[in-house]
Amino acid sequence: MRRSDIASLVITVALTAAAVFGALLAGWGPVLGLDLRGGVAVVLEPTEPTDTDSLDQAIEIIRNRVDAIGVAEPDITRQDQNIVVQLPGVDDAQRALELVGQTAELRFRPVIATFNSNDAQQRFQAQTFLEALNASQASTTTVPATATTEATAAETTEPETTEPETTEPETSTPDSTTAPPTTTPDTTTPDTTTPDTTTPDTTTPDESAETTAADSTTTTVPVTTTTFDVSTAPDLEELLTQPDMEDPDAVVALASLDGTQFFLLGATEATGEIISTASASFNGQWIVPVDFTSSGSDTFNELAARNFGQQVAITVDGVVYSAPTIQAAEFDGAATISGQFTEEEAKDLALVLRFGALPVELEPQTVQSISATLGQDALEAGIIAGLVGLLLVAIYMIAMYRLLGVVAMLSLVVSGAMLWFIIAWLGEWQGLALTLAGATGIVLSIGVAVDSNIVYYESIKEQVRRGRAVRSAADASFPGAFSTIVKADLASIIGAAILYTLTVGAVKGFALYLGIATLLDLLVSYVFMRPLVVLVTRKFAADAPSRLGVVREEVAS
Amino acid sequence: MSLLRTLYRGENHFDFIEGSRKVLMASAVIVLISIIALLGRGLNLGIEFEGGVVWEVPAGEASEDDIRSTLTEFGLEGRIQKVTGGTDVFRVRAESATIAQQDDLTAALAETVGVTVNDISRSEVGPSWGKEITDKARTALIWFFILLALYITFRFEWKMAAAALIAVAHDILISVGVYALFQFEVTPATVIAFLTIMGYSLYDTIVVFDRVKETSRAAEKARTRYTDVVNVSLNQVAMRSVNTSITSGLPVLSMLVIGRFVLGAVALQEFAVALLVGILAGTYSSIFVAAPILVALKLREPEWARRRELARKSGEVGSVAEAATTLAAGSYSRTAPPRPRKKGKKR
Repeated sequence: MRRSDIASLVITVALTAAAVFGALLAGWGPVLGLDLRGGVAVVLEPTEPTDTDSLDQAIEIIRNRVDAIGVAEPDITRQDQNIVVQLPGVDDAQRALELVGQTAELRFRPVIATFNSNDAQQRFQAQTFLEALNASQASTTTVPATATTEATAAETTEPETTEPETTEPETSTPDSTTAPPTTTPDTTTPDTTTPDTTTPDTTTPDESAETTAADSTTTTVPVTTTTFDVSTAPDLEELLTQPDMEDPDAVVALASLDGTQFFLLGATEATGEIISTASASFNGQWIVPVDFTSSGSDTFNELAARNFGQQVAITVDGVVYSAPTIQAAEFDGAATISGQFTEEEAKDLALVLRFGALPVELEPQTVQSISATLGQDALEAGIIAGLVGLLLVAIYMIAMYRLLGVVAMLSLVVSGAMLWFIIAWLGEWQGLALTLAGATGIVLSIGVAVDSNIVYYESIKEQVRRGRAVRSAADASFPGAFSTIVKADLASIIGAAILYTLTVGAVKGFALYLGIATLLDLLVSYVFMRPLVVLVTRKFAADAPSRLGVVREEVAS
Repeated sequence: MSLLRTLYRGENHFDFIEGSRKVLMASAVIVLISIIALLGRGLNLGIEFEGGVVWEVPAGEASEDDIRSTLTEFGLEGRIQKVTGGTDVFRVRAESATIAQQDDLTAALAETVGVTVNDISRSEVGPSWGKEITDKARTALIWFFILLALYITFRFEWKMAAAALIAVAHDILISVGVYALFQFEVTPATVIAFLTIMGYSLYDTIVVFDRVKETSRAAEKARTRYTDVVNVSLNQVAMRSVNTSITSGLPVLSMLVIGRFVLGAVALQEFAVALLVGILAGTYSSIFVAAPILVALKLREPEWARRRELARKSGEVGSVAEAATTLAAGSYSRTAPPRPRKKGKKR
């Protein structure tokens, strides 16, 4: 027994065990595909050829929407020109489709109040505020209703000619606003909207968001309440309006994009229709100039007049993308949103303003909803079938090859453990789920892995029959056997690689796991099976070939 | 049992090539039937390839007629298939339905069988998607054959590549033929089963050919015929082929039996049958299709043709057992010389 053989065994077992236990401690586990646990899967295709960037942006927006409704572990990926959305645990295919596929409406809503969502005390205030608001709404017809009528009326008015704004210097609007003390500086507040044509007073007082809120409503907020039991403060989730409950004509509570703030917002005063275009540009700082349509210009002017000096939120999909303060009562068909934007934030905002939501129109190609119970059935059946199958293989291998059969099973355990680790790793870090198709690839690879053992063992038996001593046969047979294993496994790997590269969906998953499992087979054959066979043959079967399944009389010849 | 015993002891000396003559005819007939079925009846493609909607509904107490009448209420015609097992499931397939129709029908089906909407699985596929999948599969298939032909040619020789790929084509044609003949529905799972069969068949053939290659090196000096070289090799790998088929087949068989009869998981059954047939076909074709084709191709080479003529003239066509002894004498000294220990290493 060479030392390197023992070292190889020890290192392999130690590393495998460490990997598996490490993964277990870190709480990793295989991520199961939809077909194994139920959910909704949608494949979307753009209606016309689109560049990768737009698709990636669309994916980002879809992800935001999905996150907003709280789906655990959504899987949204791009495959060529298609977007594959997998939503585990979601039952309602229709709802999912609405969520991911439609270009949602952009809305302008006046900000009634803003709160820091991480501050329990402020959440408490917000709750009281909401209750008071609900109470007042119950008794009187409310402002939102009238506001909407005004907005719609404005939209129908005769479009005015607007002055070309190209000549107007946009640089004339320094961002004078600083972050209100109660909030962390972020993109949503305090952005400022300024007309391109005029330079509004740069001395606009820095009102904190809360004071603005208090001023703008007739409801009194009991800000001065002395004691709060912070632990009983409501969760943000309870306060926020659910995205699917977002009534355009009602007062809603929505969170900012990064979730650090949330807003109480009045009824919709304008929609994304008023915007003709928006872009991100840089002049000392990142700003987002917005052009309105001719009729939209009027609507926006009315909105600006009503909300002068106050914040107006821009919402899409129940998320506040920006809440600039209106700094003029008149805009001539164009406005600029400024704030402490990064380049990316400015571009994202421009994108949202331009498209309301998705930069491309997507059409569902396949919609699949798999009931959790059927998925669960398949999974249980698969696991039980797999275990029973392995047990049968073990019995057969041990009957055929005795001690070597045990080695084969141990090799299988080692490659199984490695495979489990890789699947868990892929699930955790790459978001790759194990599907039924992948599981099939693995079942096939069990056959391949056991075959590697069989090829080697048959070769040993043959040598022993020809009169070789057991221990030298174990050494001498390996190079030939391993060369066969490599040739055959390489063919499998090439096949798997072709399928992985050229196909989509289920076949891709199958090919991936077949390929990985076959590579593992090569590795385990070399670093584990061979040393273990050498060890076992020397220790336990050196003078007893029958323990390897070689019939005694043959040896004599 | 005595056959297995002979194999187990490595005392088998079958004339596989002679035997393959009869079996090849049967193979040819089956392949022909497959091709006719494929051209005549075509494949029963699932919605993933043709577009449409499929519901999987736990059957409960409901009968097929109940489901059908529910379907008729919506003015839809569909194919209803009952999948029996631990839990019976109805597969209801309609060519097309609007989203709203689908929702209503799902609700109606749930009511019919007395489950909630969430217990029903539904898949909808647009027609262009299926075309895309099919196109990609076709491209992948072509590349599969090209690259593996190159690989085998590089690793072995082109004759082996040709023989191996013909055997793969044989297996895949038979499997597809069964689906065409019995009009089983072809789903993505079936496609995976077909690919698995191809992979397995190729893998198995390479193992066999590797042995043939090794043996033919040993045969260089001997006067052995190529037929004998192949026969001896096949006998040497016969035990492996049997064992590998059994060990690969057992998990699949257990998947079939347990999935089908105990737990009733629809998805598992589809490919389990195809896989089982494929594993058997793969092993069979390596020995009875790929090997004789290789022999036929190799006999066109002058050296092997000369040897065959020589053996025929002298009437010295010996048994496979004799050839094995001759070759063993040649190969033993060749492939397994008494190895000197590496110096300085402990044993």
